[in-house]
Amino acid sequence: MSKIIVVTSGKGGVGKTTTSASIATGLAQRGFKTCVIDFDVGLRNLDLIMGCERRVVYDLVNLVNQEASLQQTLIKDKRVDNLYILPASQTRDKDALTIEGVARVIHKLKQNEFDYIICDSPAGIEKGAKMALYFADEAIITTNPEVSSVRDSDRILGILQSESRRAKMDEEPVKEHLLITRYNPNRVQEGQMLSVDDIVDLLAIPLLGIIPESQAVLEASNAGKPVILDDESNAGQAYNDAIARLLGEERPHRFMEAQKKGFLKRLFG
Amino acid sequence: MSGQAAVELKGGMYTLLSLQIHSIEADAIELALKNKVQQAPGFFKETPIVIDLSPVEHMPELDTDKLLQLVKDYNLVAIAARVNDKSSPAACSIKLPVLDAGGPRADKSADTAEQDKDGAKDTPATPELTSGGVIDMPVAGPTIVTRPVRSGQQVYAQGGELVVLGQAGPGAELIADSNIHVYGPLRGRALCGVTGNTDARIFCRSLEAELVSVAGNYKPLEEIPADLKGKPAQIWLDGDRLVIEALK
Ligand SMILES: Nc1ncnc2c1ncn2[C@@H]1O[C@H](COP(=O)(O)OP(=O)(O)OP(=O)(O)O)[C@@H](O)[C@H]1O
Ligand SMILES: [Mg+2]
Repeated sequence: MSKIIVVTSGKGGVGKTTTSASIATGLAQRGFKTCVIDFDVGLRNLDLIMGCERRVVYDLVNLVNQEASLQQTLIKDKRVDNLYILPASQTRDKDALTIEGVARVIHKLKQNEFDYIICDSPAGIEKGAKMALYFADEAIITTNPEVSSVRDSDRILGILQSESRRAKMDEEPVKEHLLITRYNPNRVQEGQMLSVDDIVDLLAIPLLGIIPESQAVLEASNAGKPVILDDESNAGQAYNDAIARLLGEERPHRFMEAQKKGFLKRLFG
Repeated sequence: MSGQAAVELKGGMYTLLSLQIHSIEADAIELALKNKVQQAPGFFKETPIVIDLSPVEHMPELDTDKLLQLVKDYNLVAIAARVNDKSSPAACSIKLPVLDAGGPRADKSADTAEQDKDGAKDTPATPELTSGGVIDMPVAGPTIVTRPVRSGQQVYAQGGELVVLGQAGPGAELIADSNIHVYGPLRGRALCGVTGNTDARIFCRSLEAELVSVAGNYKPLEEIPADLKGKPAQIWLDGDRLVIEALK
């Protein structure tokens, strides 16, 4: 049975695409046949972060419109086995997607025995975001430690509860995971950002992981490589922990403590 | 689709919100409407209503065009007017289909409203028609919500109590004809006794609400005593004074 996971947030620029790329890559590395779908029609981004932008021929909209087959559209990752990318279209507008069309694509992926289908949602709470979350079995709510992001996450949780397929069919609700991204413990300590405890208290859903704010993310995306492949970096390790938890392992949360100033820094302020 | 008639006439009973008019002064009506709508803007937006003119139908001074405009300005959709006498001045002048009171009578203050769209559990609130064409509103059982109510969501417990086991996020609206109980933090709006029950109360474990209201008497966040924030509290009406006090 394929499991469908949407990565969503409401607010833009919080790290959904970064997260989708790393989660999909990490799952594939562990041997699961995984497909990551870019639902951000008109603003495709995922293929850049996955470093496969030059290999895009057909896209999700072609597939939905039955202008290309699944085999023609899926891009097989060059670095990691079992990993496939379904890119978004850069030219079409958001209305090109329909629930029936997306349902057909999901059905084909299931027939092809994918273990995981990761849906990278566009920002907002409009049609595009609703389309990305409609078929989800689980949701990774990507949240930055600021009030506006937490508030948007709360709204998206409401939409998952009332407008997802599972909600409409009265099935078991979508399983919710909180992923706090771009976490900067120093700024939390200075009171400029919400703490992990604040966010968990406000949203009241289980914490999947904390991804620290890290220069490595920018470097990785410039190199067209999901940051999880950089296992030296904090962010890469944090994504690895998150995947372990997604698969049911227990791991303590890391990267929550503010950096202690070094001896010299303490001496000289 | 083929083989089926393009249209079909069917009988049906619907519960509707009714707006009872007690004044002929446009300013007074506007002020009252504004207060009502402000309490729960999401709830009233584009809600179909019946305008109950019976208290003022024999007053020729009532400007029904102006009334309809006001109702429209506040985003309500008037679909009919209700009167006792179809030949009264208001009944003749209003540009709406007119229902007379021979039909079902709206129960004193217990106007009934449409069930919300967002995830509230259905409550058995089907009105029963008794002799004399009077609707008896059965008291509905409690509406129990086991998941958190999120920003932008609204739950309306029609005819009964509302029990929320989780939290109500900022921007969430909890509405009930009777009491409201919230066991998680109450961060959104809570409006109890919305159809006029002045005995309704709000009980919560952690008061962080944006607004609380009992039978239309409300207080926003700024007027909630600071020492009660985050504390267990109850909110009730003492005459027309809204009391917010610690639950001990
Ligand atoms: N942990 C992190 N540390 C530092 N920068 C990050 C981190 N996560 C994401 N970013 C940066 O934030 C920006 C937005 O990230 P990303 O594109 O993943 O967000 P998004 O939620 O998909 O945005 P959109 O809503 O536009 O689709 C990018 O420049 C990315 O490099
Ligand atoms: Mg994105």
